[in-house]
Amino acid sequence: MNVPNDIRSMLVESLTRLMQDHVDPKLLDAAKQDGWSQELWRELDQAEFPRVSLPEEAGGAGGTLSDLAAVLRVAGRFAAPVPLAETAMLAGWMLAASGLSIPRGALAAGPVHEETVTARREGSRWTVSGKLSRVPWARIASRLVLLAQTATEAIVASVDPARCRIVAGRNLADEPRDAVVLEDVPAEQAAPAGAGVTRDALRLRGALARSLLMAGALERTLELSVEYAQQRVQFGRKIGQFQAIQHEIARLGGETAAAVAAALSAAGTMERGGDVTLAVASAKIRTAEAARDGALIAHQIHGAIGVTDEYALHHSTLRLWAWREEYGNEAEWSAALGGAIQGRGAEQFWPAITAL
Amino acid sequence: MFFESIDFSALELPPAAQGLRGEVRAFLQAELAAGAFTPHLGHTEFDAAFTRKVAARGWIGMTWPKRYGGGERSYLERFVVTEELLAAAAPCAAHWFGDRQTGPSLLRYGSEELKQHFLPAIARGECFFALGMSEPGSGSDLASVRTRAERVAGGWRVTGQKVWTSWAHRARAFFVLCRTAPDSGNRHDGLSQLIVELAAPGVTVRPIHFMNGHHHFNEVFLDNVFVPDERVVGEIGQGWRQVTSELALERSGPERYMTTFPLLVELIRRLGAAPDARAREMVGRLTARLWTLRRMSLAIAFALDPGPGVQQDAARAGPDLGTEAALVKDMGTFFEREIVDAARLLVAVEPTPDATDTFERYLAETIVCSPVATIRGGTTEVLRTLIARRLLGALK
Repeated sequence: MNVPNDIRSMLVESLTRLMQDHVDPKLLDAAKQDGWSQELWRELDQAEFPRVSLPEEAGGAGGTLSDLAAVLRVAGRFAAPVPLAETAMLAGWMLAASGLSIPRGALAAGPVHEETVTARREGSRWTVSGKLSRVPWARIASRLVLLAQTATEAIVASVDPARCRIVAGRNLADEPRDAVVLEDVPAEQAAPAGAGVTRDALRLRGALARSLLMAGALERTLELSVEYAQQRVQFGRKIGQFQAIQHEIARLGGETAAAVAAALSAAGTMERGGDVTLAVASAKIRTAEAARDGALIAHQIHGAIGVTDEYALHHSTLRLWAWREEYGNEAEWSAALGGAIQGRGAEQFWPAITAL
Repeated sequence: MFFESIDFSALELPPAAQGLRGEVRAFLQAELAAGAFTPHLGHTEFDAAFTRKVAARGWIGMTWPKRYGGGERSYLERFVVTEELLAAAAPCAAHWFGDRQTGPSLLRYGSEELKQHFLPAIARGECFFALGMSEPGSGSDLASVRTRAERVAGGWRVTGQKVWTSWAHRARAFFVLCRTAPDSGNRHDGLSQLIVELAAPGVTVRPIHFMNGHHHFNEVFLDNVFVPDERVVGEIGQGWRQVTSELALERSGPERYMTTFPLLVELIRRLGAAPDARAREMVGRLTARLWTLRRMSLAIAFALDPGPGVQQDAARAGPDLGTEAALVKDMGTFFEREIVDAARLLVAVEPTPDATDTFERYLAETIVCSPVATIRGGTTEVLRTLIARRLLGALK
């Protein structure tokens, strides 16, 4: 038997309780205006959730990447308007892996797209420059952690966003996705990028984080759809009694289960090692496809009420439509994965699938 | 909501299972090289000689207790053997039902005598079973079966008709679901499972040809066939519970999403090292689907595996993963079709049964059989109703 470990179950339970206590329509609506929920962040921060999986010696809370995966799934389920993924999965990881300490507070990470940040040494200090598009959470973060380049090496540098020029942007769910211009911004901390901290790894971790968040968001769309189908009466019957609705609920259930299976499995592969590209690409492709079908099924079950800003469904579906594009959509990852498979040839295909 | 007991991030095949994979691959490669079988898609071929070779390696009934000819190995090792046989499109029809359905049912419900009589023979690859479920008036609605058994001295007299009985013309016996008591309101009561020898007096097997002329389906007529008491599986009147209790394993295995997989491998070969973006995208997408389905299927095998040293015949209260299995089968069967569609859209060939090229032959074979997977073993519609019921509960 494969039993989920107790520590992780407790982690998930306490995070779920915290979210249930704090994430309500009022908080989510306020976050649309403010870009995030500082109140929710404070609660999460006190309970150390933003530092799960980061080593204690760097200021982290310990735990495994799979523990963090479980945390992000819950965050996605509650549409938590906070940079948990960026802080722990991306920025905190870059810092800790490069021997730097992790500052308290919300962290953002970049670059997210095909852009370069250059690092220059001035005496004992590093400065960084570059133009970055659509950096998640940049304007509300207390530090922006960047993977920068010198002529010869990669540098991990942490800067104060207040010293950057930031043009606010947002995604479909009103989460901050900001343009950031850095002109010789002095780094608060900097060090040569640690082992494994590369642009590819950063992108894989970003894609994994979005897959996990999408898996959680799909779970919420399923919960809402089931609840609605159990209550809504039309033609004198609960709509869940109509087979046409039942079959759509079943399809949504399948997409949700597949998304959860793919995202958590990929986290396990990244934690243990193996064909991480196959696992993460598969997870991002499958969760994005589930988001495409799942979000629309959920709306169809809800009818018109689901598309209003007073009903909760949109918090999840708007995020699904935003997150499926972030860190590469299913077309980009499919083409990359398919290209790699074709390059290796037919005889290597089945061995690659079954390597783990 | 689903897979509550599963930790996906920790699912990893143990080294023993991965070691076994190498053995199975080596065996299959040697068999192929020797021309022992020709891989076919669509209909799994019936090849008694091949089945005996698989049995000789201990790969039939491998999870069963040793005293019944089994190997006392884990469900995960069985998973590996099954997926390797499917990846090679090996001819497994002779032992598929016995290994997957008859054996486990006998272990769970059969008398000691039945177990000793049939299990070692199945595991040796000498006794082949078919399944007598569907009838002309009972397809998806299995509980409506009308084949009936009348009590007589020392046993039962069975009369009725079964249909879509794959390989009944090659099998030795089949499990017959029949009514042993009249329908008294609860239609799931009064059903029983009996083992009927296909050569017994009163049994007539007639072929039903598939639309491409292939013969694996049959209709089986039972005219007052005597079945001794010893051939009753489990308890009289408990047939429905017995039939439905094994669905998790039946519906979640690799055979529910891998029957067109060899076509995908041939497609990758045909596309070459650097195909265009559309081809790369379709291959990547199919890979992601396969990878995810395999994780879900594996999760069920993990959850059902009782663990080393635990007897597989014990009536244990394993987790109920029937709905999860239905999800795997529903999505798996559509995935199988997507491979066929990708192959025909990416490589323009006019399908013909006469193709000598493997890719083209597989394409022709899978197109003709493409309606089957979403019908057998629980139709899409039945599965989705089952899944929705779990999610919605009993709505009143």
